[in-house]
Amino acid sequence: MNIYFTCNGKQISLDVDPGIRVLDLLRDVLNLYGTKEGCGRGECGACTILMDGKAVNACLMYASKLDGREVLTIEGIEGEDGALHPVQESFLEEGAIQCGFCTPGMVLSTKALLDELPEPDTKEIEEALSGNMCRCTGYAKIIKAVEKSAERLQEKS
Amino acid sequence: MMYKFPGSLKEVMDDLDEAGDAKIIAGGTDLLIQLADGTQKPDALLDITRIDELKGIQLKEDGLTIGSTTTVAELCRRNGIPRCLLQGAESIGSPQVRNLATIGGNICNASPCGDTLAPLLVLGAIFIIVSGGGTREIAAENFFKGPKATILEEMEILKEIRIPKENLQGTSSFRMIGKRKGQVISQVNTAVWMIIEDETVQDVRISLGSVAPVPVRAFSAEKVIRGNPVTEENIKEAQRALKGDISPITDVRASMNYRLTASEALLSDVLTEAWNAPGGRQ
Repeated sequence: MNIYFTCNGKQISLDVDPGIRVLDLLRDVLNLYGTKEGCGRGECGACTILMDGKAVNACLMYASKLDGREVLTIEGIEGEDGALHPVQESFLEEGAIQCGFCTPGMVLSTKALLDELPEPDTKEIEEALSGNMCRCTGYAKIIKAVEKSAERLQEKS
Repeated sequence: MMYKFPGSLKEVMDDLDEAGDAKIIAGGTDLLIQLADGTQKPDALLDITRIDELKGIQLKEDGLTIGSTTTVAELCRRNGIPRCLLQGAESIGSPQVRNLATIGGNICNASPCGDTLAPLLVLGAIFIIVSGGGTREIAAENFFKGPKATILEEMEILKEIRIPKENLQGTSSFRMIGKRKGQVISQVNTAVWMIIEDETVQDVRISLGSVAPVPVRAFSAEKVIRGNPVTEENIKEAQRALKGDISPITDVRASMNYRLTASEALLSDVLTEAWNAPGGRQ
């Protein structure tokens, strides 16, 4: 099936095998390896991408679902000059990354949260990240990183 | 396998007719996992998320109508959704899953632990089903035949869910329990709807999921509460009566005994919350 969508700001036109998942499309066809496969069942959030601004699991969508949509992967979040996004900076500063496997999903879920709720409280942060599992950090530094991101983004605006 | 976005109900009916072994897909959050092991190989997936007739939430004369492809996230954001249904919807999966999953999918997937199911039963929801031959309506509690089995015929689609106007009155509550909070499948869930007048429960409906092959009404427990206030004693009596209404099993998620105990606890929670809900008195 022919699909047309925007990926990280770029217009893409592709003839896709309808049977593959968005996760496979991103990694195997577009060579965007930042989106990870953790469970393949929509239960870990490692494959989180933003579709029309909303966090979704790339492992739970057939490729054709992207038709007509705007997709943001972790690769697309950096600034125009390659500068890190404030959320990425905050995660680094707070030491909210160990193995890094959950991080792309965490960062994108954070961005989706802060785009909607610029000043979330802890409960709202936990709720927004409840679909992203981390085996390493125990989440505390991730929560701090989200809070710091919120501060950073408020300063910027 | 073909992937198609029919643009209208008529188109999807024609597609169902022509396409051999076709499956309807909306959010796909259950279906994709089910197809992943490759044992089922449908000829076509018909994505119904672009069909206007299946979208939207409207308050009409006869009640609240919810299009079947309304995502769970949309339902959670909307004002005026009865509390038990809102709480059920909020319990589904994760934010990512809720952004894709649809209420129609939760219903038609018909897992006994579906978190919108017990709420829809106590709200007396009516399901509107369409096919090439026309439209029919069926009460939510008659829709489910068994785990993952419904009365939907091969060429039928769930179009919308209607909550009758009179059931939008009253108070309601939903609780689920699982191995963690968030991103978890219910081991047991419970919903209640009641009308309170003169400090008495005039009418009540109680439903539980994950304690039988389908979501069930707890008629014996209802009998205890109906016509009475909700008190500590009544709750205990309703808990005793509940045992006769449900038939939980031991499975990979929980043991039978756990489910029995949890059902009683959740029943107490929902009765208490609905009884004490602000604005609940007529």
